[in-house]
Parts: sequence; C-alpha cells; structure tokens
Amino acid sequence: MVISKRVEFSASHICRSAKLSDAENERVYGPAANPLGHGHNYVVDVAVEGEPDPVTGMILDLKRLREILEDKVLNVYDHRLLNREVEPFETVVPTVENIAVDIWNRVAPHIASHIGGRARLYSVKVYETSELSVEYRGEG
Amino acid sequence: MTVRLSKRYGFAASHRLHSSALTDEENRETYGKCNNPYGHGHNYEVELIVRGTIDPVTGRVVDLVRLDDLAEREFLSPFRHRNLNEEVPAFRMTVPTTENLALEVDRRLREAWPESFPKDGPCLEMVRIRETDRNICEISAKAETDVLRAKQEPGT
Repeated sequence: MVISKRVEFSASHICRSAKLSDAENERVYGPAANPLGHGHNYVVDVAVEGEPDPVTGMILDLKRLREILEDKVLNVYDHRLLNREVEPFETVVPTVENIAVDIWNRVAPHIASHIGGRARLYSVKVYETSELSVEYRGEG
Repeated sequence: MTVRLSKRYGFAASHRLHSSALTDEENRETYGKCNNPYGHGHNYEVELIVRGTIDPVTGRVVDLVRLDDLAEREFLSPFRHRNLNEEVPAFRMTVPTTENLALEVDRRLREAWPESFPKDGPCLEMVRIRETDRNICEISAKAETDVLRAKQEPGT
C-alpha cells in the first residue's frame, strides 16, 4: 500500500552545464539556460510504501512526515537560488531530474529511521510545471 | 539513476464515434451522444512518460527539444484542429475512441523513436490520453506488445 503527501516550494535555478559550450547549453536547455536564472512553483509528491499499523490504521504518522518534509526539503529549497544555496547544485545542474534524486536522498534515511523499518520511501515525484514532472523510485 | 519523466501536450480535434460494423441503432446505443452524425470535439491532453538514466553532463533523462519535436511531428501537427475521422487516414476504418487514439499515438512514436534517440537511450514507457478529465486511457510499453501479439496470433 502506498500513501503520498504533497508539498510545494518556490525556487529559482539556472540550467547550464560548465562542460557544455554556450551554444550547446542554449540548445539543450532553451530559455532555462538564461544565466540570470528564472523560477518555478515546484510541487513534490512523496510516496511511502508500507502496511497500516493495526492500532493506528496508518502506514506512518503523517504529522511526522510533514515535519520531515518541512525540515529536510522546504527549509532547504524554498525561496532559494538552487545553484548557489543548495548542495549539490553548485556542481550538478538543477534539472527537475536531479532535484527529484536530491530530495529522495534527503528524505529516504529519515523515513526508514522514523518507521523502524516497517515502511520505506516509494517515490519522489517533482512537478516543475503542470506539463513537466519527474518521478524517482530510488533505482540505481 | 533511473527516473521517469512526464511531459504533457495538448491539441484540440473533432471526431465521431461510429462503427460501420454496427447498425445505426447499435451505434447510438454503444456510443450515445458521441455518435452524433455531425461530430463533436475535445481538448485532448497527451502525457508521455519516458524512462531512462540521467545524463551526468546535462542532468537530463531525455533531450526535451527532441521530445517536443517528435511530439509535434508525429501527433500534434497531424491531429491539431482536425476532424480525426476524415483527415487522419488511420481513423477512416478505425473508430477514433480514446483507446484507438492512444494506440495510434503510441504506434507513431515507437516507429519514429529510433530516429530521435540512441538505442541505449531513454525509452517510451507509457502514453496516457485525456479526452476529458473523466475519460482517460493509458497504454504502457508492455500492453502495446500484448496488443500486437494478439493481432498476430488471433484466437490464441
């Protein structure tokens, strides 16, 4: 059984790779390569897989999940320039793909420790716009 | 790292649901208002779900410019503001239901995919079409293989 919780944050980013030429950056990322940056209202769906506790009827304490997401994701990402203010995006391009993986890495250990191994993070889905989203399920 | 990227596109088109293999009365019973002889239209949304690994240089799972170009060429430009029954050859003999539309979009994309993306690159995992918010059809790579197999091996 999978339960998911949605949070939102706003942030700016610049999609440029130091390993690509200016022309290549503009071809690959289009307007997102603007060196002065631009922003999005990101929506994040965090899904946890497990079985309901026989006493509480819940897979996990949703208040605690909300706290983990506030502490580990929103406090880090909300109203930031990702390239300058959020590890690892000084060296990794903050595409929506890499944001999904980074949020997974920040959240996964806390889900596991909080639930005591009874549930695990199932997926992180990040919407950059209503047209574009990426889902990461922790696959290598 | 394997991720799934979803990109959503939209086009508006008209259609009429009517099968020449059914009587007029059966058509009316089967398709209801959608059998109206003058046709009607929808704002279709097509969601493509692409699976692959993140390129370490670009941070992208798929080249979005190429994906957008492919979508434009294969189904947006051919279907946009068209009467699907009359102007898309695939629907002259096949009823343009959401199911058949999904199969047609999926078929076109899979045929053209190797020209746009390398063999070991991203793959098309699913095509999902919204005819309205309440009528949605999706086809996954595996389901498509099953449909083709069923067509090739009738009665098995």
